Amino acid sequence: MKTLITILSLLLAAPLLAKEELVTLPVRDSVQLTIYNSEDLTLVRERRSLSFKPGKNRLQFSWANTLIDPTSVEFQPVGEAGTKALEILDISYPAESHEMLIWTIDCKTAGSYGVEISYFTSGISWRAEYTGIVSPTDDSVDLTAYITVTNNSGEEYEDAEVRLVIGVVNLVEKIIDLARPRRPYPTPPSAAPAEDEPNLDRDDMRKMAKGLGGGSGRGEMERPKEIQKAGLSEYYIYTVEGTETIPTGWSKRLRSFEVKGIPVKNVYYFKPKDYGNQFTKVYEFKNDEAHKLGKEPLPDGVIKLYRDAGQGRLTWLGAVASKYVPKNEEIKVNCGPDAEVTMKERRLSLKKKDIAFRNNWLVGYTTVETFQTELKNFRGRAVEVEIHRVVDGDYDFDGGAVNWLTEDHRTKKVRTVLKPGETLKLDFTATIRHNENARKK
Amino acid sequence: MKTRWPMLALLLALSAPGLAAKEELVTLPKRDTVQLTIYNSVDLTLVRETRELSFKKGNNRLQFSWANTLIDPTSVEFAALTNTDKLEVLDTSYPAQSNQMLIWTIAADDAFAAKVEISYFTSGIRWNAEYHGMLSADESSMHLTSFVSVYNGSGEEYEDAKVRLIVGSIHIVEEIAALAGSARQGRQKEAYEGMRRADSNAADKKDITKEGLSEYYIYTVEGTETIPNGWSKRLESFQQAGVPLRTVYAAQPEKYGAALVKLLSFKNDEAHKLGREPLPEGVVRLYRVAGDNQLSYVGQVATAYIPKNDEVKVNCGHDPEVTLKRTRTSLKKESLVFQWTGNRQYLAGWDTVEEFKLELKNFRNREVEFEIDTYIGGDFDFTSATASTKIDFRTQRFAVKLAAGAKMDISYTVRIRNGTNIRNK
Amino acid sequence: MNKRILFTLSATAAFSCMLGVSRPEVAEARIKLATLPDKEAVVVRFDHPHVVLVEEERTISLQKGNNTVDFSWAGTQIDKGSIVFRPADVNSKVVILSTSYPPGEAALTWSINSPDARSEKFRLSYLMANIQRETDYRAIVSKDEQTCTLRHYFKIRNWSGGTFDSADFVTRDGKRFEKALDQGEAKRVLVNKWDKVKLVKEYTYDTNRNYEGKVMTDYVLKNVKEIGLGTIPLEYGKVRIYQDDGQGTTAFTGEDWGQFTAIGDDMRLNIGIAQDIKIEFKKMVNDVENRRGNVYDTNEVDEYEIKNFKDTEATVTLVLRVQGEWEMQKDSEGYASFERIDNETIKFQVKAPPKGTPVKLKFHYKRLNNW
Repeated sequence: MKTLITILSLLLAAPLLAKEELVTLPVRDSVQLTIYNSEDLTLVRERRSLSFKPGKNRLQFSWANTLIDPTSVEFQPVGEAGTKALEILDISYPAESHEMLIWTIDCKTAGSYGVEISYFTSGISWRAEYTGIVSPTDDSVDLTAYITVTNNSGEEYEDAEVRLVIGVVNLVEKIIDLARPRRPYPTPPSAAPAEDEPNLDRDDMRKMAKGLGGGSGRGEMERPKEIQKAGLSEYYIYTVEGTETIPTGWSKRLRSFEVKGIPVKNVYYFKPKDYGNQFTKVYEFKNDEAHKLGKEPLPDGVIKLYRDAGQGRLTWLGAVASKYVPKNEEIKVNCGPDAEVTMKERRLSLKKKDIAFRNNWLVGYTTVETFQTELKNFRGRAVEVEIHRVVDGDYDFDGGAVNWLTEDHRTKKVRTVLKPGETLKLDFTATIRHNENARKK
Repeated sequence: MKTRWPMLALLLALSAPGLAAKEELVTLPKRDTVQLTIYNSVDLTLVRETRELSFKKGNNRLQFSWANTLIDPTSVEFAALTNTDKLEVLDTSYPAQSNQMLIWTIAADDAFAAKVEISYFTSGIRWNAEYHGMLSADESSMHLTSFVSVYNGSGEEYEDAKVRLIVGSIHIVEEIAALAGSARQGRQKEAYEGMRRADSNAADKKDITKEGLSEYYIYTVEGTETIPNGWSKRLESFQQAGVPLRTVYAAQPEKYGAALVKLLSFKNDEAHKLGREPLPEGVVRLYRVAGDNQLSYVGQVATAYIPKNDEVKVNCGHDPEVTLKRTRTSLKKESLVFQWTGNRQYLAGWDTVEEFKLELKNFRNREVEFEIDTYIGGDFDFTSATASTKIDFRTQRFAVKLAAGAKMDISYTVRIRNGTNIRNK
Repeated sequence: MNKRILFTLSATAAFSCMLGVSRPEVAEARIKLATLPDKEAVVVRFDHPHVVLVEEERTISLQKGNNTVDFSWAGTQIDKGSIVFRPADVNSKVVILSTSYPPGEAALTWSINSPDARSEKFRLSYLMANIQRETDYRAIVSKDEQTCTLRHYFKIRNWSGGTFDSADFVTRDGKRFEKALDQGEAKRVLVNKWDKVKLVKEYTYDTNRNYEGKVMTDYVLKNVKEIGLGTIPLEYGKVRIYQDDGQGTTAFTGEDWGQFTAIGDDMRLNIGIAQDIKIEFKKMVNDVENRRGNVYDTNEVDEYEIKNFKDTEATVTLVLRVQGEWEMQKDSEGYASFERIDNETIKFQVKAPPKGTPVKLKFHYKRLNNW
């Protein structure tokens, strides 16, 4: 606790205004950090052993220069003896300090009891990153997932158990705002409700933490740490093996998993909505068993793809900021436009028909347009392409022999393979009924 | 002035590849020849200079610097003219410390002297064409003299340079002056102002040979020229006496404005004793030879490029001795058509019938030709006792001749159908 | 026992950022710099169209157990997130355990576990910003305009903050050259030269190119083996065109941006205006027909008078446009061939006789169902 900001002291004298003896307490026995990535929120649980005298004990907790949410600070005895012996009578937030509180605790039997103090802090974050190396043949990828934890909380948590929560939790107020001292309105003297954290039984959590907190100590282990993944309600919890110390201001990247030889497909998309008006090369794979994945959802993070250029040399393919990928969901990495696969669409003809008049005035007509999509593959190998075409209005779409699929109410798509050097022409006809010719549906 | 010339220096550090290696700088002798190829459609001049250089066996480093010039650094090129297969440019380096210098690393198979050419683009030199036409007293022919003027606003004096001029409109995607560095554009502009003032009139009797190249023509000036910075030099390109001229008075509002204008025209062809080469764009100044070989000024016009066999029309403007007056002599509405809407009757279609009169007068003492155009919009009928030609869907032209001192009236009628009267063809 | 190795990019201001990984505030905890390994086998790749990947090899002496290696790059434009660090040998027993990033510094620390004391070769790859590339071409066209010599240059300018004493530069088409490149320096290298490349010269009057109705002169190069190209896709770049002037030298005849041209595709270069070909447009007929309520057709005749003042015949391509629904009429005349490119666009080839003899293209069409 070099930069120690949180001081716990036991105020031995009962009357509030009496001179108090300040006892600085020993370091915490253990710390657990549960870090959320959807919100700037970390739940800190720390345990200490404290000696209590019979009668009223006053316990002071202060957090100057930290990003702790004062409304979230909670005190709880641990163990049966402590629970029986200790009772919180009140919590006081003294007027003279905005970064301090005092618990008045009634102790039935003098002794040393384990207690847990928990609170929310902001300033600690984690993110996922993925690095994939695509095989020279473009058909498989070796994927390594990383977790990077960044500590900007102003507090150094030494040898902390680190748990990461994947998922979007609902917060009604930002922790960073709650942590800001001199708030315009007094903080209510109740702790943050426990419901703010995922539906998790405290004892379960403790058990989990204990069971997983196996290896520890300062030095690194001889192998990359295991990161355990477990589902929990709408969330996933990643638990980092052992403990971590991340000084404030530092980030640390740990390997989450590594899977070799994930089959990938690369598809050239002509899909203006997502990729603009050109062919874009996209690598596709799925977070499922067939792709050697699917054991857990993949948290949102940047996916970077390189290609093995032979002899272990890398070339850069592209990066994409990926959203949370649930199990069995598809992952698409956009590796940028490729000028060697081209598409040109021409309107070959426009005809108007079924011109309807009322009172000698045009009230409806139908256009028949024929289009030709010319696809060219200038590459020396076959490529799979997918083309999206938007047609608006009350239309009939006739792709002739080509089986166009419906993407949505106004989008047709087709997927095909272009041989090396191939030029493929796809003709289609769009018949659109305008004005009063448009059918009422 | 001369210090601004690009400098060529040989760095004699043949073994050490590192930039930091100690190098000996040898400034090279003056260039043997300089050739300027000047363009008139863009601000660009291609400079080629040749020199004799001694190379050592191995890698030679040749430094070229152009501080305070208007040279485009991306255009500088090295080429061996002799020992071509024994010299190879390995790379061209543009060092960080100076943005007005480059170093070629040139591998030589052996030690020898070679003739090399360094070429680059510079801005600030331009040329243009000018024409003087001396009209005969009756304006039926002229004596045409064509000049080319070279303006040097580059900040350099080019001494004893072989000068070539390119006639034609080349495509460039970036301005040379911008590539040379915008900081020096101001200077260039000043130089241009200066050179306008210094416009020299001294005609030179050098031959200018003309040759076609792709879409362009190359004019090569005999011998060499020295043009100091800020100066312009005018050279005679050709002279031709007795070029026949045609005079037409034209009323063509879309081309020449509302008034009747006098057009002097000739063709750049053999029948007009021309047609040996296209005439580059330039100003044509016309003078009339008055008595005692004195000149009176007729007018001037900027012409576009005139290909061989094409016609030139010089607009000499309004001539008070030849007049045209257009008047509308009547307006009638005919064929009115009504439609009933409910219990009320409305006008739905009508024709307007207009009669016009053209009064042509020639006060000159020679016959003149007229070309008078009439524009009419919509669904119309055009009738006239005088013959006319359809030029396009809305233009009719009267082409008539009028003897010296004669008058003539032309009448025509225009019927325009409106509303439901417009014919459905 | 942790062993600490710190290495930096030699180009950087560098040694200022020796870091302790465990306690930034405790200077004594830092393990001293052991070695500053030289960069070996540096490869700078331009195979991605937009980004530059640098890959270097470093040999690092490791002790048995956990080692800490610092890497800092102050002053250079390395994209931190892109760093990939791995043993060169894919079967290596050496494992990278974690990466730590100190606050506010262009540096990181790897924790590396080695089963024994050894010298291990690592590969370090990263994206580097501010290394600019540019392609340019120089074409020397023969006097008869049938062929050209095409030179392809690659220019790199290094603003990355790093210096490459010697690196292997790899272009997009796989061409490699070894060069030194200083910070701030630019280098231009001839990477390809093609001789006797056949070219086609075209005269085009295109209403969309809109050069005030002027006729443009283009050279068209097909990027195929048959004409002497077709070895690599041609990158976007400026093409400067010179022509043999028959006087022993060449004259500059124009320049254009050459668009990216895949193998098999065409590169069209505009060199300038063909001033010896003139085209005059007139609309000769513009009638309304077949009126139904507010809907009507039009009958139109457009006339293009083409004059070729050259001494030889020229084929001129006219690219014309008519909007909406329309049909060409059979009595159109004056063309050698035509092609309706798409609904709006029609392309006529007209043979123009020499010496200014005019030829007229009559384009008769009906526009249908206007309102």
